[in-house]
Amino acid sequence: MKKALVLFVSLLVLTLFTTAFAETMVSNPDWWKKAGEPYKGVTIKGISESTPPSKAAMEVAAPQFEELTGIKVVFEVTSWDEMYNKAIQDMQTGSGIYDFVYVEQDIVYSYLPQNWLTNLTPFMNNPAITDPGFDLADFTSFIDNFKDGEGNIYGIPFEAFLKSYVYRTDLFGEPEIQAAYKAKYNKDLAVPTNWEDYTNIAKFFTEYGKEKGIELYGHIAQAKTHPCVAYEICETIWPAMGIYNWGINLENMRATKANGGLVDSDEAKAAFKWYVDMLQWAPPGVKTYTWDETAATFGAGKVAQGIIYLENLGWWSDPAQSEVAGKISVALPPVTEKALADAKSGAGYIGYYDGGALGIPHSSKNKEAAWLFAQWVARKEWQGEFAKLGTRVVRNSTFEDPIVIELDPQMGNYFTFLKEQGPLFRGAPALPMHRPLNDLYLKWVSKAVAGEISPDEALDNLAKETDELMEELGY
Amino acid sequence: MRGKQKQVWGLLTPTLILLIFLGVVPIIYILYLSVYKYNVFSKVGMVYTGFNNFRKLVFDPDFLKSLRLGLTYVILCVAIELPLGLAFANLLTYEYKGKGIFRTIMTLPLAMAPISIGAIWVLMTNPDFGPLAVYLRNIGIDFNIGNNANQAFIATILMDIWHWTPFVTLTFMAGLSSLPKQPFEAALVDGASKSQTLRYITLPLLRPVLFTTLFIRIMDTFRVFDEVWMLTSGGPGTATRYVSIHVVREVLQSMNYGYSSAMSLFLLYLTIVVCWLLITFINVSQESG
Repeated sequence: MKKALVLFVSLLVLTLFTTAFAETMVSNPDWWKKAGEPYKGVTIKGISESTPPSKAAMEVAAPQFEELTGIKVVFEVTSWDEMYNKAIQDMQTGSGIYDFVYVEQDIVYSYLPQNWLTNLTPFMNNPAITDPGFDLADFTSFIDNFKDGEGNIYGIPFEAFLKSYVYRTDLFGEPEIQAAYKAKYNKDLAVPTNWEDYTNIAKFFTEYGKEKGIELYGHIAQAKTHPCVAYEICETIWPAMGIYNWGINLENMRATKANGGLVDSDEAKAAFKWYVDMLQWAPPGVKTYTWDETAATFGAGKVAQGIIYLENLGWWSDPAQSEVAGKISVALPPVTEKALADAKSGAGYIGYYDGGALGIPHSSKNKEAAWLFAQWVARKEWQGEFAKLGTRVVRNSTFEDPIVIELDPQMGNYFTFLKEQGPLFRGAPALPMHRPLNDLYLKWVSKAVAGEISPDEALDNLAKETDELMEELGY
Repeated sequence: MRGKQKQVWGLLTPTLILLIFLGVVPIIYILYLSVYKYNVFSKVGMVYTGFNNFRKLVFDPDFLKSLRLGLTYVILCVAIELPLGLAFANLLTYEYKGKGIFRTIMTLPLAMAPISIGAIWVLMTNPDFGPLAVYLRNIGIDFNIGNNANQAFIATILMDIWHWTPFVTLTFMAGLSSLPKQPFEAALVDGASKSQTLRYITLPLLRPVLFTTLFIRIMDTFRVFDEVWMLTSGGPGTATRYVSIHVVREVLQSMNYGYSSAMSLFLLYLTIVVCWLLITFINVSQESG
């Protein structure tokens, strides 16, 4: 009897606690309970990449949602490759395994022509299943990536972040290092605004590390034989040097100079040669690094500067997880004058605005329940906490959230940077053949990075084969 | 009798249905796809192309390179694993202190999933902190599988040997323990040395086990994927892009279903030919033995 009483009281306290906890993160719990009522007991299954935002959604948002609505969420987080393989195969075969999938900004252009995603606009017009506080207008312009030509929306932004320049403020501010740099280059050590300065700083820090016998390098890259190396060229290096849209002429979908593209242009070759050459200033294992290892190596304090996905700022700023907490800041990447002018005028961009949305596959058997969950993850009152957990912002109001305002200086003023400089960055171009194209780019880029062929030869072959692929695919 | 036959077929039918559904139907579907140009992201959909996919295969330098790499990998792995496995098996027939510990440690890699093996080797070969890289650097060898194609190739071979030699050892141990004792006793009486016993008695008697193990290992190494994908993803460049990795890239990354179906069929044909050759060789050598 006593044991049963203790158990009952414990359960009551736990229920009250979790309910209270859930209620503090949602302004209108009664609406959610009512909206979820018809779908109580349903299980929805989704898949995403194993990143901090996805883990936050899986570990925090999903259990709270389940508690409130009675809709069970099975949120599978896995590697980037596996996520795509599973999501694409599910949607292509119509097997209906997943009710929501992560739709990255670059792949949405492949999904839309295939009609793989559910149009969410009609759902937004249904008050029974759309949160009164949803506020579509509050989303940043990142949501435009998930619209079709008529403005219908196919994904609710889940995460958005920049890939930009990040550097060690402690190293850049060290008087001994500053003096040594000035003596060598007759210039003050400062955040580089052009590629020559970036190169000099990279060389300086790597040589400095060798002299001092410490593991310190002036450059980092994601140079493994993996799609990441192709992305790094197309999305980071080339745009900052004035080559946009993967070097492809989007009007005729051709890559060779002869057909109006830029892949085999002198500028593209110079940029690629620079990239391959710079690897000598990176850690020895750089050709085994994907984006994960790049971030980990920076977080371990081994690198002075780099252009890295800034979704990592969250854990970099945690002293329990990284060696660089409180020692980093962000800035624009080095750019050519043309690239910066193009970006400001809207004719180009200087780097990658990464991120994705939660979309509902056409084959989902629980679309309404999945729609409720997508809104739950995107609800306003949780965005500040979500930004803290995942270093991502998809709503304009989040920039004014007290949590974000407090976090900003700890993360090198990243949120201010994102708000002010975000418009200079852009996502991937609208290429419906994104996947096969990325594989083709990977083949030739990795051959040059591995030294099998020269960068020039790689780009000549890449341009030629890209044109052949486009023709084969009917473009 | 008839009733018994009915019973037998009744018991076999579910398995046969499953095998047909999982084995035969996919092959028929691949046969169908192989004569089409079909990329999931193509604007023009499926286009009938006859045998052009197969013709393209024969002249595709990337596919031919992956085939050459794959066959080299098979030959080197098997050529090392079989004698090494036999040596270990022989060692385990003797009694000595620590034999149990040796057997346990040696068998551990076999208990792990291939993807875990790949993950372990990623750490072991990491140029920044992996033990292999560090120890080799201490003796003046710059070990970096991200930079050096030959080192990456050798690392994948070593990984396979580390993973699968225990299997070969266990197979040979089973074989050795089932050999008749009389020939060995007769050899001892006749004063044959250990190497003479091995060469003229053990190996000939072990021939069926040897060929079966050879057969299994050739098939397994030819279709290697998980470990190598984890360790190198086929890189650096195309240095370890074995044929299975090449096919997976075509299917899952390029989404080129038509061409990769043709590739898969060609590999199936190649596998059947190799199997037939091996079985013929086994039968001939058994008849002559």
